[in-house]
Amino acid sequence: MSLRGRIFAVIGLMVAAAFLQAGAVVWFQTLRNSSDKTMTRAGQRFDHQTRMNRVVVELENEQRSYLLTGLPAFRADFDRRWSEYVNLPTLLINLIDEEQDKKSLADVDRQLQQWYQMVTALMDRRDQLVDLPRVLRDQTAPPMRQILNGLDAHQRRDFALLNDQIRNASQLSFSNALFTLALPAIDIVVLLVLVAVLARILLDPLAAIAESARQISGGNFDVRLPPAKRDEIGALVGAFRDMSTAVQRRQRDLTDALSREREISQMYAELRINAEQESARLQATIATVPAALVILEAPSGRVVLQNAAADMLIGREPDDENDRQLYWESFHASYRDGRPCPVDQWGPRRALRGEVVVGQELIVKPQDGRTIPTLVSAAPLRNDLGVITGAVAAFQDITNLYEVDRLKSEFVSIVSHELRTPLTSIKGSLQLLRTDVPMPDPNHRILMDVALANTDRLVRIINDILDISKIEAGKLELNPRPYDVHELVTHSIESVGQIAKGSSVTLTPIVPPDIPKVNADPDRTIQAIVNLLSNALKYAPARSDVTLEVRPDPPGFVTFAITDLGRGIPADRLGQLFQKFQQIDGANTRKFRGTGLGLAITKALVEMQGGSVGVTSETGVGSTFWITIPIVKAS
Amino acid sequence: MKLLLAEDEPDVQLIARLSLKRVGFEVVTVNNGLEVLERVGAESPDAILLDWMMPDMDGFETCMRLKADPATRDIPVIFLTAKVQESEVAKALALGAVGCIGKPFDALTLGQQVLTILGK
Repeated sequence: MSLRGRIFAVIGLMVAAAFLQAGAVVWFQTLRNSSDKTMTRAGQRFDHQTRMNRVVVELENEQRSYLLTGLPAFRADFDRRWSEYVNLPTLLINLIDEEQDKKSLADVDRQLQQWYQMVTALMDRRDQLVDLPRVLRDQTAPPMRQILNGLDAHQRRDFALLNDQIRNASQLSFSNALFTLALPAIDIVVLLVLVAVLARILLDPLAAIAESARQISGGNFDVRLPPAKRDEIGALVGAFRDMSTAVQRRQRDLTDALSREREISQMYAELRINAEQESARLQATIATVPAALVILEAPSGRVVLQNAAADMLIGREPDDENDRQLYWESFHASYRDGRPCPVDQWGPRRALRGEVVVGQELIVKPQDGRTIPTLVSAAPLRNDLGVITGAVAAFQDITNLYEVDRLKSEFVSIVSHELRTPLTSIKGSLQLLRTDVPMPDPNHRILMDVALANTDRLVRIINDILDISKIEAGKLELNPRPYDVHELVTHSIESVGQIAKGSSVTLTPIVPPDIPKVNADPDRTIQAIVNLLSNALKYAPARSDVTLEVRPDPPGFVTFAITDLGRGIPADRLGQLFQKFQQIDGANTRKFRGTGLGLAITKALVEMQGGSVGVTSETGVGSTFWITIPIVKAS
Repeated sequence: MKLLLAEDEPDVQLIARLSLKRVGFEVVTVNNGLEVLERVGAESPDAILLDWMMPDMDGFETCMRLKADPATRDIPVIFLTAKVQESEVAKALALGAVGCIGKPFDALTLGQQVLTILGK
């Protein structure tokens, strides 16, 4: 039941009790009124009865007196008494409730009426009567005695009734007093009970909720709430419980959040310490590495950090923010061959665009006018989203390397000169002796030929070493120009003609007549082709064919393919062929000893001209070495 | 024809002289560039063969001086050099030399090479 319903029920009970009380009072009043009426009637009845008894006695006295004396006064009194009596029985009967009593009184009255008839008749003929005492004794006294007995009996009964009634009335009076006193007490008790009930159904849950609220506000969520009934308190309890749960959940969330935040800040602190250590390590590293390190910001290219080595190498970054860009841009840089390097081709700039630059060789000229050969390496710095946030660039001062390189070149140059000079003498002497001096013993001529062949080989070795050292130093200069392919082929074949003749191998050039001109350094291209032809002749079996086939492909290139029918090259060796000092061991070397540098030089010469080299080979069948040289572009 | 041959290495000098003589050259040999300048007036060679690298005065400077002097300007100069790189050859030709012969030269054909260069 809802609380409102219960309150209404309690109030209804109170109203009902009030009505009940009022009803009880009214009923009691009625009861008392009826009792009072009864008592009044009893009083009247008593009065009338007494009067009737007295009048009957007086009637008897008057008749006696008159009959004895005959005095008219007695007769008048007798009549007066009779007139007094006549209405009394009726009055009295009206005051009697019991039918029996009414009847007995009516009987008495009837007897008295008969007596009166007899007495009045006697009185009227009094003069004729004799012996009056006897008349009195025999005629009038006995009925009178009966009448008086009847009256007496009636009166006794009436007294008994009256007694009862008086007892009832007195009891009623006691009840009245009791009722008057008890009713307020009952009221108070009922009120107290109702208030207690009201308090129980209304205040106790509220007090419990209030206590719970106090506990919750104190942080204790483990509270006992009144059971949630289906009433307003229940709704309140439910709402309170929901609120408590929500508050508890929020408190828990808050606690969790706080502890998470603590964890996070702890983590953050650790991370910061780590980051600081990392940063300090990095700073120390950057400060102490001999390389000049510069860290740039993307996309502006502004310098955010540079180390002492960088200060020394390229100068201190200016403090003025605005000048930094200018400072950076004002650098003049050129490649080794002297061509200027545009600012956007600088390693750091390329790194800012996402490129990893390794070993870009630049000659940097800072504003102070120095010229510093540097090796620039740069890499983009990305955040975890992969967005470029900057770049780190390292400048290595390679002045010393340049010096070493220069010394090496000088050394190679001097050594080769010093070697060539005696070789020139040896070779010249041998040649002149072999030609001009007659040698009848064929063994002598063979020895002279061996000496000459080895001299030539030594010259080739020195030339190859010089070439490779020039190539490696980047000092080999090429002068490409439009050149006729037929001429290249002719010169190449001429160069190896002697060898071909010596090994009795047929050398067949296959050149389409309409082959386009190539853009090539003729000497170096011939050198490359000759290297390949020499190899082919070296490995070709006697009386076999070596072909030099020229094809106008791939687009933009001419391919020179040299095929021999030698024993071929194992597949696992093909990849290393173009490296330095590679030879197929023991392959016919007595015919033509190489230096092991030929293919490496060929590869470098061809690639420097924009072409490429390659080989296909099958063991036991032969090999095809090819190079491509770009054709002259139609401009 | 008279050739003035400047070569600091006596052995090379000897072989070059023998090679050139085989095709009929009269060869006057000197040991360095200074001697070339000293002797050129007296000898009046038809051509001068200069080694590139020589002590005291190298072929490069000698050639420059010969070409700077109106008296010797028209005598053809041929370099004998181990530096057969194109840049060196170009440099020599720019100085007014008529040709370069690489070292080590072919003793059998040296005289013929000189004749070819001189257009004879």
